[in-house]
Amino acid sequence: MSRSYDRALTVFSPDGHLFQVEYAAEAVRKGTCAVGVRGKDVVVLGVEKKSVLQLQDPRTVRKVVMLDDHVCLAFAGLTADGRVLIDKARIECQSHRLTVEDPVSIEYITRHIAGIQQRYTQSGGVRPFGISTLIVGFDPQGAQPKLYMTEPSGIYSAWKANAIGRSSKTVREFLEKNHKDDMSRDETIKLTIKSLLEVVQTGAKNIEISVMEGFNKISSLDLAQIEAIVAEIEREKEQEAERKRTRLAATAASQAAMSAAASGPEVPPPEA
Amino acid sequence: MSIMEYNGGSVVAMKGKNCVAIASDLRLGNQAMTVATNFEKVFPVTDSLYCGLAGLATDVITLRERFRYRVNMYTIKEERQIEPATFAQLVSSTLYERRFGPYFVEPVIAGISKKTGEPFIAAADLIGCLNFAKDFVVCGTASDKLFGVAEGLWEPDMAAEDLFETISQTLMNAVDRDAFSGWGAIVHVITPEKVISRTLKARMD
Amino acid sequence: MAECSFGLVGKGYVLIASDTSASRSIVKMKENEDKIKGLGPNLMMAYGGEPGDTIQFAEYVERNLRLYHIRHNHTLRPASAAAWIRRSLADSLRSRHPYSVNLILGGYDHTSSMPNLYWIDYLGTMVEVPFAAHGYGAYFALATLDRFHDPEATLEEGLETLKRCINEVEKRLIISLGKFMVKIIDRNGMREVEL
Repeated sequence: MSRSYDRALTVFSPDGHLFQVEYAAEAVRKGTCAVGVRGKDVVVLGVEKKSVLQLQDPRTVRKVVMLDDHVCLAFAGLTADGRVLIDKARIECQSHRLTVEDPVSIEYITRHIAGIQQRYTQSGGVRPFGISTLIVGFDPQGAQPKLYMTEPSGIYSAWKANAIGRSSKTVREFLEKNHKDDMSRDETIKLTIKSLLEVVQTGAKNIEISVMEGFNKISSLDLAQIEAIVAEIEREKEQEAERKRTRLAATAASQAAMSAAASGPEVPPPEA
Repeated sequence: MSIMEYNGGSVVAMKGKNCVAIASDLRLGNQAMTVATNFEKVFPVTDSLYCGLAGLATDVITLRERFRYRVNMYTIKEERQIEPATFAQLVSSTLYERRFGPYFVEPVIAGISKKTGEPFIAAADLIGCLNFAKDFVVCGTASDKLFGVAEGLWEPDMAAEDLFETISQTLMNAVDRDAFSGWGAIVHVITPEKVISRTLKARMD
Repeated sequence: MAECSFGLVGKGYVLIASDTSASRSIVKMKENEDKIKGLGPNLMMAYGGEPGDTIQFAEYVERNLRLYHIRHNHTLRPASAAAWIRRSLADSLRSRHPYSVNLILGGYDHTSSMPNLYWIDYLGTMVEVPFAAHGYGAYFALATLDRFHDPEATLEEGLETLKRCINEVEKRLIISLGKFMVKIIDRNGMREVEL
């Protein structure tokens, strides 16, 4: 019976933790990274693609999925858990349309998904979903793009930009430094890729980008497009480094000059 | 108007020497109105076993789907094709499951046993009471007429071609006397080697 | 039964026509009701029967086919959709509250490049047909279609045949059904056509 709170998931540990939920969060941290960035009238999802095996069909590995005409979801964590949650969400999208004629709002479907995730932390014989999700889309009325995140515990929250999964902390800090309000489409895409490049060493071929601009307006960038943007980012980095180098060189030179001037021609010692 | 006569249609099956034949008309009606003239009521179960269903058309389709499902499960689990006699029991139990809310369908089964090579025919009522016959079985809105004509034309030990002629004449002449059946017919003659399926040109009024 | 819908297939297309009246008992409540629902890019369905049941069932079908599309990234082919719809009605028939809805289902199958037309009634009876009709108008329309339908007809000829049916119904049926709405599905998808 000892440590039974560590086994039975619906039981708190003495210091107020639900270990299984925290383990689920750990599973998320092991999952591939996903980034969501909101622009002025666009919202972009970027995910790190695991490099597929040589003989595998890459199209069967999907980390960004449509829930409805206007809602898109990316997740990090256990893919199999993700599929179950996605299916529940898709049913709710259609069921909502059937009962009240309107498509779901992004907050509504987020709340629904988070609600399911929460339920799996409070009932017996189940384990939590080992996934965090980023949910993006546009509300039925309104051109404002939305971005939400849900966690295994059932917490959900709205964001301007956020990341989940492996090294999400690094990416989030990068986004905090570089995110601006009212970014254009291109700026938003670029920021997404840039932030992903912080943790994806292999570059364009392991990045997948989905751009959402309204109802039924979703597109994913092909490899060539991503490569072009990555190249642009590399070039800018290069220029930045170059500028830094020249500036450094310049400072070094001026400093040398200054110290040279300071040390100057040595004053001859007074004659003895 | 009985529910069994709502859509119309008839099926007949006959035994021959080392062969069997099963045939149906092609009419689908809504009481007196003909909706379609391409509604087949005989379906293959295995390559030497056919099942015909006459009665309420919605149940004809549903039962065809259920039989296909149960036969597929049998084939997978047993790793062999189902025998005609076994299939007859399967049909019977499927129908009797709904003893107090039946499918309004009378099935007719015709096939050749893979094991013994014996021809086999059987029919059942809508709750699955089997009737194994050694000459012919009928069902549908023209069943009374089919009984009469078949009684007159059928002979023991007919060869495949003879059997085809007999079943065709039986069906066509019976359905011509029935307002709810007809509008073309399809005949399957099953021999140990192959199945011969022919559509018949019939009166279209 | 006072409602009427019919459909026919021609060369590479399927046409469905439906009256546009919504009535309770002997009272006409509305005369511009669209009773042909699009079910995805290559499928449409004319529905009639018990008011309430019709829309309820049509929307149920619509949402489920949409769900299939989102789940599997492709739409059901007309034959498969028809089989699913039929089974829904057949199951409903033996439930405590059956839907009483009659349907004509038209679609274009991009795999076989063929138009399909299905006649389905509230019992779950289904048959694929070259032409179909429901309601009292069916008695006149089926006779007209028997005489004039041609599966190889061009769109103009198909519409001409459809017009004959509507004229016949308007001439012989003692109830006036008002305007008819006609929709077509071909390889380019669904659209409404003016007669």
